[in-house]
Amino acid sequence: MTALVPTRDGVLRFLSAYAIVAVLAAVFLLAVLISDAFLQPKYLFNVIRQIAPVGIAAVGVTFVMILGGVDLSIGAIISLCAVVSAVLMNGEAANLPMAIGVTCLVGMAAGAFNGIVLAFSRVSPFILTLATGIAILGITQIFSGGTARGIVSPGFREFFNYRIEGIVPVLSLAFLAAVLVGVLIQKRTLFGQYVFLTGSNRRAAVLGGVPVRGVTIMAYALSGLFGALAGLALLARSGVSSTMSGQGLEFQILAAIVLGGTTFEGGRGGVVGTLAGVLVLVIAFNIVNISGLPYHLQMVVMGLIIIAASAMYGQINARSQ
Amino acid sequence: MKLTKRLFMTTAAALAALGLAGPALADKETEERQTAAAKEAVDTSKFAKEGPYTIGVSAGYLANSWVVFALQHIHWEASEHDEIEKVIVTDAAFNPTKQISDIEDLMRQDIDLLIYWPVDDAAIASVLERTVEAGIPTVQAGGGFTDNAGTVSNAYISQWRLGEMVARNLMEDLGGEGKIIAMLPIAGTTAAVDQLDALETVLEEYPDVELLSAEYGDWNRAKAKQITENLLQRFPQIDGVFSPAGQMSIGVAEAFEEAGRLEEVTMSPGDEYNGWLKWVAENGQGGAVTFPTRAGQEAVKIGLSILKGEDVTRGTAVESEYIAPEDIGDHVEPDAPDDWWSTELPEEFLPKQ
Amino acid sequence: MAVGASRPRLGAGQSGIWLILAAGFGFALLFLPDFRTFENLANILRQSAVLGLIAIGQTFVILLGMIDLSVGMTAGLVVVLSCWLLDIYPAFTLPVAAAMVMLGMAIGVVNGSLVRWLKLHPLILTFGMLSVLQGLIFTFTDRSVGRASDALKELANGELFGVPLSAILLVVLVVLTQAILSRTHFGFHLLAAGGSPDSARKAGINAGGLQVAAFAIAGGFAAAGGLVLAGRLGTGYPLAGTGLELDSIVAVVLGGAALSGGRGSIVNTLAGVLALTLVSNLLNLFGVSAFVQMFAKGAIVVVAILVNQPRRAAR
Repeated sequence: MTALVPTRDGVLRFLSAYAIVAVLAAVFLLAVLISDAFLQPKYLFNVIRQIAPVGIAAVGVTFVMILGGVDLSIGAIISLCAVVSAVLMNGEAANLPMAIGVTCLVGMAAGAFNGIVLAFSRVSPFILTLATGIAILGITQIFSGGTARGIVSPGFREFFNYRIEGIVPVLSLAFLAAVLVGVLIQKRTLFGQYVFLTGSNRRAAVLGGVPVRGVTIMAYALSGLFGALAGLALLARSGVSSTMSGQGLEFQILAAIVLGGTTFEGGRGGVVGTLAGVLVLVIAFNIVNISGLPYHLQMVVMGLIIIAASAMYGQINARSQ
Repeated sequence: MKLTKRLFMTTAAALAALGLAGPALADKETEERQTAAAKEAVDTSKFAKEGPYTIGVSAGYLANSWVVFALQHIHWEASEHDEIEKVIVTDAAFNPTKQISDIEDLMRQDIDLLIYWPVDDAAIASVLERTVEAGIPTVQAGGGFTDNAGTVSNAYISQWRLGEMVARNLMEDLGGEGKIIAMLPIAGTTAAVDQLDALETVLEEYPDVELLSAEYGDWNRAKAKQITENLLQRFPQIDGVFSPAGQMSIGVAEAFEEAGRLEEVTMSPGDEYNGWLKWVAENGQGGAVTFPTRAGQEAVKIGLSILKGEDVTRGTAVESEYIAPEDIGDHVEPDAPDDWWSTELPEEFLPKQ
Repeated sequence: MAVGASRPRLGAGQSGIWLILAAGFGFALLFLPDFRTFENLANILRQSAVLGLIAIGQTFVILLGMIDLSVGMTAGLVVVLSCWLLDIYPAFTLPVAAAMVMLGMAIGVVNGSLVRWLKLHPLILTFGMLSVLQGLIFTFTDRSVGRASDALKELANGELFGVPLSAILLVVLVVLTQAILSRTHFGFHLLAAGGSPDSARKAGINAGGLQVAAFAIAGGFAAAGGLVLAGRLGTGYPLAGTGLELDSIVAVVLGGAALSGGRGSIVNTLAGVLALTLVSNLLNLFGVSAFVQMFAKGAIVVVAILVNQPRRAAR
């Protein structure tokens, strides 16, 4: 892989990675200046736990974006999986393994559907996943009848919300574990390499013998799988699975990924950047909250951060070309 | 700014409603005026007609368990009357523009009665007026009392009275002193405005109780929890929580519990949301002030009376009741999901579990 | 792709959406007695106007291979501001409307300039703008404010010889913008730059200027859509614009435009808008349960874009 990449691209990647770290440091510094709560480990891990559902899903979607695609159906997949798992658990601890397994399969199937259609047609991923998102939301509503059906198994939420040493909630570790798995897939597997190759130059990848269709299907299935895990994380955090619970999360997820240096053009970025992007987003949210600013300014802050950060990447790209 | 806006809204509502204030402007005085207005008689003669009837239900939203239960109450009541031939339901999914289109489409289907709950009162006021002009009576179900020309009658729940009951119970449990926070629904909704006003009115009688912060959790358990986590960070001492909506109360209580501060706090009553009832049963405090899902049923009864030309008033209050923590056992359903409501619905009309 | 070759023609190859629309219409005429009434057809046209206006502007942006996610919130901002202003100055509908269209265009110019000078990806930039505008709307008001003037209400709900005024406005603007697209240098350059940016640059076309112009047009039409929406709602509902950006993109793509740019037409976009409204209307008239409607809408769009997908490689 590294042999194929020109050095300038390497510098670029370093710059992109460096940029998000700088942004993260700046946002964190601002946070500390506003409230010393951001220096308490307990609060920090709380913040990480808050964003766990978004973060876990973002890991999966990162691969789709490196491929040059996008997954707007991810919010709907998260909702669907939260509802499905709650119903399957049905209040029994014994149902847990089955419920988690089936939920993951449901998420993967939804993602794979996107992947198959995109691999064998010329439809734009933006528009396709937008439409499947609406359809999946409809399926969730038909399935749930509008109420949050199902009862979470005893022990499930207690486990994920348990604080090791009274500080570190298991759910925040689950998020970090998901990131680790993502990094391993990205750096240590053939699939990870293929995703980058396909994303940076699809034609060359085809000529080079990369099974582009298979890679596409797998990337979207992976996105769906992480979406399912995010649904479980959401259930663990909120305890109840409303049909709308994942709604709108797709935009936070996209914002975090792009903040992390993965672009819409594909071929660039990675899971580590996404982690940083997720943290920037959640710290920015909490700054607005804890400083007592009106809630709605969150949106303005988020918008400005996204524009500013992506302008910075744009500049880096333009200069290095 | 706020004041001028309030003035505009009052003027607007006054034009539409013969000098009576609209739903967005709520305070104790308005509450009393609305109670009086609700007693006014409706001229049902212009709507009277022979059956069989088709009922149109325009839901502002259906992705909410309370509304789903209220809708099942509509179906149940409709099934008890042979003269009701059909119930057609549309869902605007929180989009008032779609609700306007939905109501237009329902009118095309020759409905005899329209039952609705709005995404936004003002946004559908004019299409409701067109509906009434077309001879179709309209009944608002489950929200606050709506005094518009396009709303013939209401099966309403007074958020103000509910808020007052919750506040009084909390003050009693607190012993009349301490620092409290308020968790309200979506900012700007009648529910949020009325509940806050009721709380502030009751607080005037309790000078030793301080309201630290009023927050908007959007009827969302996760959001209420997240906001509370931040409040716990901001305030070292919180003695009480005013939270009339049960699904948010659980999120609030969880945040206190995880911070190890549940001991210091007194929770107000929530509503008869099953997840909250489970919490009350377990912790023996809080209780419930009901937000009855049978409002849907009342709406059908009112609508039928209008169609039959019987005497009907502008509004029928569906009264909230207080359930003390000791009596919660009769209402909680430990085997049902959290997102469930204590209800009299017969088995075959219960939503999917 | 040669510069001239990407010029769209109404007719063969791009009429898929019209066929789908005709089929849906014929089906409804045959099986739905309620559908046949003139009032219902007027309803469909009236319900299409807001989305139609916004989709016209979106078409210009998509023709250049870009996307504008901020049009929905621009419309939402216009709904709130225009109702607020018209409540104070009910007689000044025209000046307020003009100011709103200029506001929309100004937002578009900001979008376009940032894309042009800072090389921002349009999707991420306009998503940021969406978030900013939404935050501003809610900071301004969290509940419905003001009321639309009678003139605005008449425009949105009124009729001329039984034909909705808003539909007449929409058709006039569709014809006008289609003429601009297929008969002027500006339109020619737009299609050329969208189809093949490199050859267009070599041919001396000012691509950056076109970007700013396209976003300004999108903003202006979003504001126009917002004005009609304000008339329809009668009040400044802060969430009014939610989702319109995505619906407008779906409509444009259903009309056969390629998201990679260079291909599409306003008239076909109109067909896409009508198809979306028709689906919603039919599902209501057929009494399809509310929860199934959502699924059906998504599934129909998936099928429609698969049937109507670009024949040539998109990129």
